[in-house]
Amino acid sequence: MLRLEGVSKYYAAPDRAIAVLDNVTLSVGNGEFCALVGPSGSGKSTLLNLIGLLDQPSSGTLSIDGESVAGCSAHQSARLRNRLIGFVFQSFQLLPRLTAWQNVALPLQYRGVPRQAQREAAEAMLARVGLADRTSHFPGQLSGGQSQRVAIARALVGAPRLLLADEPTGSLDSTTAQDVMALLAGLNAELGVTIVMVTHDRDLAAACPRQIALRDGRILVGDAGTC
Amino acid sequence: MLIALPRIEGRLGDTLAEAWSNLRAQGRRSALALLGIMIGTASIIAMLNGAHMAQRESLKLFAKLGVDMLQIQAAPAGDRPAILSRAAIDALPRTDPDVIEAVPLAGGRAPARAGGKTADIATLAAPPALATLASLRLAAGRHPASVEDCALSAVLGDGAARALSAPAAAIAPGSKVLIGGYGYTVVGVLAPVTPETLDPIDYNMGALVPLGCAQRIIPGGGPTGMLVRLRPGADTQVASERITARFATPDAKLTVLDAQSILRTMQEQKAVHSRMLIGIGAVSLLVGGIGVMNVMLMSVMERQREIGLRAATGATPTDIRLLFLVEAVLLTIAGGAIGSALGAAIAWAIARSSGWDFDLAPWTLALGPAVASGMGLVFGLYPAITASRLNPIEALRAD
Repeated sequence: MLRLEGVSKYYAAPDRAIAVLDNVTLSVGNGEFCALVGPSGSGKSTLLNLIGLLDQPSSGTLSIDGESVAGCSAHQSARLRNRLIGFVFQSFQLLPRLTAWQNVALPLQYRGVPRQAQREAAEAMLARVGLADRTSHFPGQLSGGQSQRVAIARALVGAPRLLLADEPTGSLDSTTAQDVMALLAGLNAELGVTIVMVTHDRDLAAACPRQIALRDGRILVGDAGTC
Repeated sequence: MLIALPRIEGRLGDTLAEAWSNLRAQGRRSALALLGIMIGTASIIAMLNGAHMAQRESLKLFAKLGVDMLQIQAAPAGDRPAILSRAAIDALPRTDPDVIEAVPLAGGRAPARAGGKTADIATLAAPPALATLASLRLAAGRHPASVEDCALSAVLGDGAARALSAPAAAIAPGSKVLIGGYGYTVVGVLAPVTPETLDPIDYNMGALVPLGCAQRIIPGGGPTGMLVRLRPGADTQVASERITARFATPDAKLTVLDAQSILRTMQEQKAVHSRMLIGIGAVSLLVGGIGVMNVMLMSVMERQREIGLRAATGATPTDIRLLFLVEAVLLTIAGGAIGSALGAAIAWAIARSSGWDFDLAPWTLALGPAVASGMGLVFGLYPAITASRLNPIEALRAD
């Protein structure tokens, strides 16, 4: 499903290049639910951005669903993101002027789906995350948990193969966080979507079938790929 | 290509709807950005229509005679009267390639008297062809026939007839009028005439008499001028020089009134005005365009997270560029439309205050929004490119 081979990422500093990711090799199987853990500065977010095609590795190869995606142009990356990847962010990232269903429909809009079909698909996905009665609400009218559910619906409405979640429960209280985790686990089981989730919450990470631990840009455990 | 088309169309519709709602959300700031575009468009539209109406008005000055007309007058250069050869004038349409019609004239002034009333009137001795050439319409009676070339029959202008009418004895066909000591029979009275630049006399306060025996009222007895109709498209400058050369004598100083050069002079005077207004319009448009660019750049900075999020969900750099470009163009088109309406209103006010007929040149109404959308494209491009080049990771992290 997802394969990284010798991936490194350097940032230029005034005197030398700083390696944020150092020769990472990793493979994630179809339908896996992985937690990506590590202290801050360990390279979790950078790794997630590389997998999410929001950034380019300095060296190494990356393939998603058998497609090599290293060296894609910004345009190609955008098309691939639209087709293959859904994102969930800590801060939800809902557009305040759009209603819940319009937010969910964004990926379909960039796929050129007709407006009526966009709405139907978005409402169906909102129903799936338990928000059938909130489709025309604006983000300002939704609680944190509801907002994150809308964001999850948006990430999955285009039926991507891979869901990338960056601290998805970081802005939520523990009860709501549990609900969101349960929702993600359920969607993972029902839809078979592969999930890679960055978290620093040990309990949440422990609840995932697989943990990948990073430290100083290297993988400590979890690269065996057992699932 | 054909397969990709519906996708782009659907997306453009979405983009338009979103751009519109974003502009509305920005409210007052959008409105302020419009101001410059509005003033610029308004002044250009007002100026163009002002010029358009002025042109129509100046053409009206030649409505009766047309613009392919020369009036040539001979003034005495010495002691002897300046007389032009009537035969040579009558022969002009055959001898000059640009002349279609030439009518000899002899103008003067003479005291007129009828039934105790007197008036000082302009006299014009001319052949019957003048009535057709100058489209002189009659209120009563008839024009002199060509067989009356030396008859004592006269056609009076509307004002002259009224000035000579006594309460009990109104001037009508059949009345007798004494002009310059000769008794003339009135055969017709003209309908009121709107004075025009090329009229040899004020027809309203004049009398038309046959040219054949003009010596009765005109010293010298021959024509002292002519009206010449040129072939449409003829070079009036060249033709008038050729004709004056042909008729030049030591006794006569020839002056030419040329409809087209009169029009040209009028338009040159207006061109100075027009250039000034176009300058003001262009500067306003430039300032307005920079204002639009500024608003769009601020909008890009404020909406970085939105841009990052859209990029993450699959918006290509082209999609992002299009979103901001469409917003900029919508903004300027709105300004252009309001400006056009404003410009039309100013043109109406100009017409009103100048006593002109209000008339809009249709193409100028399309020009406003067209120019404005061009401004939107030009000044929206830089913000749109800036937006499309944002790094999605940093954009998502912005606050």
